[in-house]
Amino acid sequence: MTRRTNNSLTDDLLRPVLETSTKFYVTAGLLALIVATGFGTWFYQIYYGLGVTGDNWPVFWGFHETNFVFWIGISHAGTLISAILRIVNATWRRPVTRCAEVITAFALMIGALFPLIHLGRPWLAWWLIPYPSERFLWPNYRSPLVWDFFAINTYLISSLLFLALPAIPDFALIRDRTTGWRNWFYGKLSLGWQGTPKQWHRLESAMHMMALAIIPIAISVHTIVSFDFSMAVVPMWHSTIFGPYFVVGAIFSGIAALNIVMAIVRKTLHLEKYLQPIHFHNLGKLMLAMSLLWGYFVFNERLVTWYGNTPHEMAALWSTQMGRYSPLFWTMIFFNFVLPFPLLAIRKVRSITATVIASCAVVVGMWLERFLIIVPSLSYKGTPYSWGAYLPRWPEIVIFSSSFAAMALLYLLFSKFIPIISIWEMKVGEHPHIKVAAEVQEAEAAGELV
Amino acid sequence: MSHNWGMAVDLDRCTGCEACVVACHSENNIPTVGATEAARGRAMHWIRIERYWEGEFPDVKVKFRPVLCQQCDTAPCEPVCPTYASSHSEEGLNSQIYNRCIGTRYCANACGYNVRFFNFFTPSWDKPLHLQLNPDVSVREGGVMEKCTFCIQRINAGKIAAGLAQRPLKDGEIQPACVQSCTANALVFGDLADPDSMVSKLAKSPRGTKLLEELGTKPKITYLQQGSWDDAPNK
Amino acid sequence: MTGMYGLFSTPELAQQAVDGLRASGVPEHEITIQSSEPLEEYRFGSRDRDTVMPWISVLGAAIGMATGYFLTSVTQQAWPISTGGMPIVTNWTNLIIIFELTMLGAVFASVITLMFAARLPRPLPKFYDREISNGKILIGVANPRDIERVERALRASSGEVRMMGTEL
Repeated sequence: MTRRTNNSLTDDLLRPVLETSTKFYVTAGLLALIVATGFGTWFYQIYYGLGVTGDNWPVFWGFHETNFVFWIGISHAGTLISAILRIVNATWRRPVTRCAEVITAFALMIGALFPLIHLGRPWLAWWLIPYPSERFLWPNYRSPLVWDFFAINTYLISSLLFLALPAIPDFALIRDRTTGWRNWFYGKLSLGWQGTPKQWHRLESAMHMMALAIIPIAISVHTIVSFDFSMAVVPMWHSTIFGPYFVVGAIFSGIAALNIVMAIVRKTLHLEKYLQPIHFHNLGKLMLAMSLLWGYFVFNERLVTWYGNTPHEMAALWSTQMGRYSPLFWTMIFFNFVLPFPLLAIRKVRSITATVIASCAVVVGMWLERFLIIVPSLSYKGTPYSWGAYLPRWPEIVIFSSSFAAMALLYLLFSKFIPIISIWEMKVGEHPHIKVAAEVQEAEAAGELV
Repeated sequence: MSHNWGMAVDLDRCTGCEACVVACHSENNIPTVGATEAARGRAMHWIRIERYWEGEFPDVKVKFRPVLCQQCDTAPCEPVCPTYASSHSEEGLNSQIYNRCIGTRYCANACGYNVRFFNFFTPSWDKPLHLQLNPDVSVREGGVMEKCTFCIQRINAGKIAAGLAQRPLKDGEIQPACVQSCTANALVFGDLADPDSMVSKLAKSPRGTKLLEELGTKPKITYLQQGSWDDAPNK
Repeated sequence: MTGMYGLFSTPELAQQAVDGLRASGVPEHEITIQSSEPLEEYRFGSRDRDTVMPWISVLGAAIGMATGYFLTSVTQQAWPISTGGMPIVTNWTNLIIIFELTMLGAVFASVITLMFAARLPRPLPKFYDREISNGKILIGVANPRDIERVERALRASSGEVRMMGTEL
């Protein structure tokens, strides 16, 4: 049972949490089915062995590793939008922050599953945890995969905390507005939050420190994921450009995912008043900047390789430009660079729909980019006799598809239990700012502030 | 007195008969994956004969090159293994420790020679073929990487025998299966730390080169041939 | 525990109430203020702002850094295994682990300090009113010495005055 109120902002943003439609149950059910299929396929793969996939000699990494890098990349949206905009006090971020942080949390969880999925003996994955074992063996800290373990876990824990902390006042809000099981549940989640000025100050202080910490963490995570490739002397992998290249690509794909999710949330939860065209305009501009930056890195990488003309690398390069993988390569260029440019650069064209179309193209293009980094290089490595090729088989395709369903399902469930737009932050955004400096400064000068 | 095992491969002698490949399979319990899996690129030949040819019959020029794990001194496959399954032994070998392997396959990607192989399935041998398995070599399960070990079981057996007889190892006493089976005596195995061994002398031969030396892996196998690879005579 | 509080619909009225209470002799630290959003632009909402939290986060980072350093270099030397011709203690790569644990230390320190400083989790104290979640600001005094002066100050700012334990 809910209590009446006369605050329309709170009402609008709480409605998705307090009211559930049939559409919700149907969608959740369908998505859960697809996710279950994905898990079933994974267990099939564990039981029979990785031989059921398309991995082979010498292309030992394919779809699973592409998905890993892809989802970790998607997770870079939340931090950038949330943390950086928070630090520079950009007020338009308010309705967008939680949407973005949720993407980060779930994309990370899904991305972190793929290292487990790609393992030959996943039941031993716990050996990556640094603990004093009976074998006297610790993880090999020289391995980029161990760096991945540390980086992704650090980022995941930080992101979950970054998401959870500002949710506490919203939990308190729901606790006060409901009775019955909801009151008990949100009562526990809100940890007894009262809203004293001290609590608010400490919360904001903690958020500020975490925002400062989480930006370098996010940059380090995708740099470390790029090290999975650049640390190996493989044609077109062993390049110093990989760190920044991957980070830019991650932010690029992350913003695209955020746009798509925001558009869906806006429509299905009737939040047109809060997620306004200006938000899509601003994110669209950011995405355009990222598209240009990404194009700059791709150009750099390819020009240097082509100009160097080392036999070691040319086979891999040509396979993407003119050979077996070229259709995928040129599709990627079109989706990441050619199509988004007019949609985002021309103000009149840059509507919500245009931004979403460009974002969908970018998500596809960036997935292709990850695939094209991994597979052609492995196909043309070493002596020509040992070159190979890769085609995915059904287990990889099913798991790949169900990862998207998992993201949608997790997001759907989240928006059911927690307001997708941070209510107290929206309220702060509506404060008049006139009294800010004068009164407080006066009081500080008079020594009245405790 | 620490050994440093190495090998020399004489490309002018290799006939491409692939006796070494068969011997390696039978010595090291390497499964034959079957036609379907081989077509999928899952064959596991710890030593393989790379065949390069140009021209049409009867004017064909063919070159053979046996490629096996180079036991690199600065092996790129070693630092990348998260569980120390791939590490360097004190005798200069790249050890693959099956029990530690969790199957990330990063080592295989990092290997510039593509000499590492993965058990995509758990192999099985129908009876009575299981009787052919070498009891000195473990049978690997699915999800584990494997590669040439320079027949470490034979090295250990040789060292134990010499130790029991209280005499030093003789050059040529230890022979990996491929070396033993080579019909043309193209493969030579020995201790690079012993300046008098055949392999040490061949390593200094003017006919000697290293495979993909520019990768900086410091491989320990010396390939011998008169002239360069590109003008190898018609075999 | 007895107490009296008023619910105010705007921050300006709440500020008036706080001033009134101060004028009637209630010390600052005995005044309880609760709201559903931070009101830092107002004097009453900007108290308790100073904090050493950032320094504790830095301390957490330092602890993380030390943990990372010892975890990597000590365990690498505990069982020295040669890989790829690299040194046993590889400082370049250990930096990565050290960095991650440093940041994790900062994050944990921030969160733990928040929990302590905001006194969370705790059961909801009796001195609370659900109307706060409807946008009202609660200004009150627990165990007031002179309950009538408090009531006068609260009513003077058009507050909806309640005694402890009274519910809607």
